[in-house]
Amino acid sequence: MFELICNALLFVFLGFTYFTHVIEAKIPKSYLKNPNVLHPSAWPKAIIILLMICIVINIYKIIKKNKGNPEFGFSAFVKNSKEFFKSKMFLGMLILIAAAFILEPLGFVVTAALTMFAYGILLGEKKIWRIALISVGVALLMHILFSGLLNVTLPRGTVPFLRNFALFLENLF
Amino acid sequence: MSLGQMFASGLSAVWGGGTMFLMVVVAIILGTIFGALPGVSATMAVALGLTFTYTMGPVPAIVFLVAIYCSSITGGSITAILFKIPGVPSSAPTTFDGYPMAQRGEAGKALGVALIASAIGGLFSALVMFLLSEPLAKAALAFGQGDLFAITFLGLSILVVLDTDHILTTIISGLLGLLLACIGQDPMAGVARLTFGQVNLLSGMEMIPVLIGLFAVTEVFKQTNAKKRLSAEDGVGNKGKVNTKMPSMKELWSIKWVLLRCSIVGTVVGILPGAGATIASFMCYTMENKLSKYPEKFGTGIIDGIAASESANNAATGGAMVPLLCLGIPGGNAAAVMASALALKGVQMGPLLLTNQPEYLSATFITMIITNILMVIVAIGIAKVFAQILAIPYYYLGPIILLLATIGSYSEGNFVGVKVMVIAGIFGIIVKYMHLNSAAIVLGLVLGGMCEQHFSLAFQGAHIVTQPMNFGDIMQKIFGGLFGTPIAAIVMTACILMLLSPIYMPLLKKAKKK
Repeated sequence: MFELICNALLFVFLGFTYFTHVIEAKIPKSYLKNPNVLHPSAWPKAIIILLMICIVINIYKIIKKNKGNPEFGFSAFVKNSKEFFKSKMFLGMLILIAAAFILEPLGFVVTAALTMFAYGILLGEKKIWRIALISVGVALLMHILFSGLLNVTLPRGTVPFLRNFALFLENLF
Repeated sequence: MSLGQMFASGLSAVWGGGTMFLMVVVAIILGTIFGALPGVSATMAVALGLTFTYTMGPVPAIVFLVAIYCSSITGGSITAILFKIPGVPSSAPTTFDGYPMAQRGEAGKALGVALIASAIGGLFSALVMFLLSEPLAKAALAFGQGDLFAITFLGLSILVVLDTDHILTTIISGLLGLLLACIGQDPMAGVARLTFGQVNLLSGMEMIPVLIGLFAVTEVFKQTNAKKRLSAEDGVGNKGKVNTKMPSMKELWSIKWVLLRCSIVGTVVGILPGAGATIASFMCYTMENKLSKYPEKFGTGIIDGIAASESANNAATGGAMVPLLCLGIPGGNAAAVMASALALKGVQMGPLLLTNQPEYLSATFITMIITNILMVIVAIGIAKVFAQILAIPYYYLGPIILLLATIGSYSEGNFVGVKVMVIAGIFGIIVKYMHLNSAAIVLGLVLGGMCEQHFSLAFQGAHIVTQPMNFGDIMQKIFGGLFGTPIAAIVMTACILMLLSPIYMPLLKKAKKK
């Protein structure tokens, strides 16, 4: 059922995109005056049309394949969805989403330490102190290695003391 | 300068009393480690290597940079195998068989095959370039936009044979990748498309974060839910240690034809300006899958898959030096940095290089040959050390992979890369539930922009009209542009045959049975 819903949503989204978002700026008149050029919307529109045709066929195939399958019903879908939202995988996704948002204000060191700590516990590490220490160590080491030694730019954070700390680490070597 | 003289001049330049030789070894170690670190791409490795060469003369600088360039691309396969993080798009097919082997505890063997295949591919292309650089450069120049579109389209056509059991969902995946590649400004008019008002998307979809998200992050998510996780104990009889046993001579001998075929195809594809290592590695992986006596084992962790992908992408990377040096056309980002680094050292890339500065050309090719030979020894040592990383328990390794993925995505320039990586990771899970194909999405995304650009230019150049086009003009433009030259006509016919193969192959099989 999840597969069917996703395909249907994708179909609707593609239809919406086809009519509203393929071209999002004015095409220069000089470009349009040239009769030899390909219109900027031609390529994406062709792809969208092909995709929509394929999705319709896929939806038909999914329905045909699952005819009479009790697992294909809406109640099974609701049950599976509930299980998914309780799963470790969903929590892992939430941790990573949170990390992506705190990366800019807190910088790499703090974000990396917090992410590693939270994800480590999620994956089954029971010794809190050990994972806490390792998380901080790995975060510091990575920042020094990549930012200080290899000149790979890593976010320093917008909070002043965290930014200064990141700069201090970068200038250690 | 004759070939013999070029060889002697190149060899004396690289040997240089032993100091230069040592420098090549140092460059290989640095390049392999740089390449193996997520976030440090081949482009960045060359840029980092540049800082070591400021005080060097032109020839030592060329030798050092070329050695870093070659070994960093090879180093990229280490993360692809161990963490499912392809450092460059051309390493994506390496993950298909390399990662399952690492999961089985055969990381050492997978890395060994990858490095030896890379070395053989690189060596083959370096030798070919050394012998044929001038005529090859001229031949590559003869390729028009229609021909280049045909080659790129051939790369896309392999979609239909990527997963023959699920052709429809693979095609949907490929088309989704192509659509993702359309995001941003169109290649001809510079008009914003499919950005949904997001300024950050104007420059297009960043490829590396999508790759890292779809492969590495999705894998960590899957492992988070898995009842039995990747662990060192999976190594057969290894008592908690990762098996760093290298492939035997017998195993390597069994893939000799794979290596030869993929080195040839990789070199040819690499020589074409703008075609690149990604097309080569995907093309060869699929080609070997089709030619194999055991195609069902591809993707489950066999050395043939790793050898196909790695020999092809390294041969293509070497092949890309032909348009770079002889025509001044860089084939990709890393080649572009190489070009600027070489220009900084006074190398005048282009058709006159062979007549004005033959010693630079010979030094480059001889360095590539020596680097590829030495790399087998040096990189295997490094790979053995890297393979031990898998001995770390997954509750530490998983988060470390996520952190490395974050660094890899952020090093592309901004926070959007990290967000794209997370979205791609979650999308990877949806892709799994929808039975779509991640590799096909990546193939579409990587080749989409190239394909559209070549098509637009071929369309523009064919059957010039002065008035608004009617249907006949459009058809003439399309067919004139796509089938206008013998090369394009042959390659496009091959593409059409390949695209139609799911229809006629079962019919042929049926007829054969009867």
